[in-house]
Amino acid sequence: MDETVAEYIRRTVLKIPRDEIKTMLQKWGFLSETQLQTINFHQMKDNISQDVVQCCEDHSASIKQAAVLDIIYNHSYPNKRMWSVYQMNKTEEETDFFDLTDFRKKFKRHLRSALKNVTINFREYENNAIWIRIAWGTPYTKPNQYKTSYVVYHSQTPHAFISPSVLKSNLPLLCQALVVASNYQDIHEMELRSHSLNSLEDMVFKRYSQNFETYCPRPLQESTVAQESAGLRIVQENINEKERIQRVNRDTFGDGPQPKLEFAEYKLETMFTSDPKLEVLDKKEPFRCMVKFHSPHLLESLKSLAPAGMADAPLSPLLTCIPHKARNYFKIREKKGFFPGSFVSP
Amino acid sequence: MEAAADGTGRPRPSTGRLSWGLPFGRARRRSGLSPSSRLLPTPRRPQVKARAAAGVAEDADSQRTAFLLRKQWSLYSVTPLYRFSEAHLRDYSRLLSAFIAAEKKKGLAVEIGGELDIKVAVTSLPDLKGSDRDQAAILVQLSSRSSASPKNSEEKLVWSGWFCCVAGDELSENLPEAFTCLPLFLVNGAESYTAIVGTWFQKTFDCCFRRLSLSPFNLSWMAAMWTGCKVEKPASATELVFSVPRLPHPLHISYAINLEDAQALWDTVQKTPGEITQEEVDVFMDCLYSHFYRHFKIHLSATKLVKVSTAVASAHCDGIIKFRQSQYLTGVLMLLTELAICQIQ
Repeated sequence: MDETVAEYIRRTVLKIPRDEIKTMLQKWGFLSETQLQTINFHQMKDNISQDVVQCCEDHSASIKQAAVLDIIYNHSYPNKRMWSVYQMNKTEEETDFFDLTDFRKKFKRHLRSALKNVTINFREYENNAIWIRIAWGTPYTKPNQYKTSYVVYHSQTPHAFISPSVLKSNLPLLCQALVVASNYQDIHEMELRSHSLNSLEDMVFKRYSQNFETYCPRPLQESTVAQESAGLRIVQENINEKERIQRVNRDTFGDGPQPKLEFAEYKLETMFTSDPKLEVLDKKEPFRCMVKFHSPHLLESLKSLAPAGMADAPLSPLLTCIPHKARNYFKIREKKGFFPGSFVSP
Repeated sequence: MEAAADGTGRPRPSTGRLSWGLPFGRARRRSGLSPSSRLLPTPRRPQVKARAAAGVAEDADSQRTAFLLRKQWSLYSVTPLYRFSEAHLRDYSRLLSAFIAAEKKKGLAVEIGGELDIKVAVTSLPDLKGSDRDQAAILVQLSSRSSASPKNSEEKLVWSGWFCCVAGDELSENLPEAFTCLPLFLVNGAESYTAIVGTWFQKTFDCCFRRLSLSPFNLSWMAAMWTGCKVEKPASATELVFSVPRLPHPLHISYAINLEDAQALWDTVQKTPGEITQEEVDVFMDCLYSHFYRHFKIHLSATKLVKVSTAVASAHCDGIIKFRQSQYLTGVLMLLTELAICQIQ
């Protein structure tokens, strides 16, 4: 077995949390159950990985087989990578029947025609999601298995999620190959990026619970309210406001859990306005700002601002539109000819 | 109000605010400013030495202080040093060196590698001060050299700390002779070294170090003041970073304003000639907060301002500073000295 393949398998196994190694090797299916029995999965990871490599030696694993293990790892832990969202389009209305074999052939052919040294692997998962792993080389060097790009293409949709490698120059070629293989005409990047692949999919395919307009008759007020003393009425006031905020939050964000995003970025090119009494800046040019929000779970965090008293309810549509517009990069300009409070985002 | 530690027996007002409540009932500061204002920062001209006559214009200032720029410095306030003398810097180097070696033997300095010799250099930075009434800055540098082959290995700077005082009259003018006023201490390097050096200074000069944290109030001043400084283009934006930690999922907001636009706003706000007032800072910040609110409906004033980053310098609420422009170095130090003195008093 090639030394580089052995080393690659060893390093891939080391990435996997110890408790998951056996399951992942089983999914991989390259080693037989008997061989897996011979490995002690309770020892130190270093030793486990050595044992795994030893077993692979017996079967002379190739790089293509090692690559499959890498796909399985990345499919289980997609959040280690940053994913961008791409959308493809074409003018014809008809959707062709998707043929995986045809797709694979065209994809490989397109990439290999431009670059001989690439390792390409495919693996199909549920929901018609096709995972593609590409390791890039140059005309003179073998593919670098540690600098891989991943594509998750949902074949029944025009969307693909791409996690490019550090070698960004290969991205246009990758996009082209996708377009050609899937019989589309062109592809563009959406303004949406996150580590959480599942959340991106949720947003793009509208799988999160959205706020629907429903008729919900409010229960009639009890007559006992009028009899309460002044002190209790004051408390009631706050309760009303708190309930109003919860209601508005539910209306804008929906009831279910929010898609998981880590950040949102806004490039503001709107006008600065202020109370004329202050006699401050009155320029006719945009007040240029860049605003970035960061949180381990951005949308849930924003949702909690109004109840915490730090924001109004409803929150600005610039923030609440993130899930259904499926974007987290925005450029905001002033809407011309309208009330200055409204914005347009191109 | 506590009795002054310098033994004069005069009570000093403990001012929680930054504006000076002056002793002796003086309504205005020595510089003639009202209590809640500060001087407009002006860039320092690089000093051209007499050797310029030879045709070489020396920017000696910037050269000597260049190493201070673009490094992260942690801030401390230091109470006056008892019986410190600039004439004995060499002795101090020697003594501190011995102290560090002793600590190493005791096994207290865990992070210091066993094979490393630490060399101590204590020098003075005569140009780093406000006026002649200020004590010149004192720099302490720790370099390491492999003790296995001391002749061959290179010396590597591992830790720097410097004491300084810029316009520290408020504290120094009331001090007895035996005391030296160097209220601001800046550190770059491992915490373990800081602890050792700090301990030695505390034991030797009977002083006290305290971490200097920067409140949102202080940071707002810095944002306004430093935005107003004229710098060469291309200049980085004025960035404010806010933190909302107590939510179920913590939130950080970075709000960066193009410097030209921020300066345009500041120029219309800052109206008092030669000085900046509290009111002007408040108006500036309110304008920025309203602009943000207009877009996002979030009240930034309810969040915590934790970091300010400008072309002149960046400051973090944990008491960390980064100098970016040598021409404004003294100006920033003046503000920090003031905050340190405030913490001491």
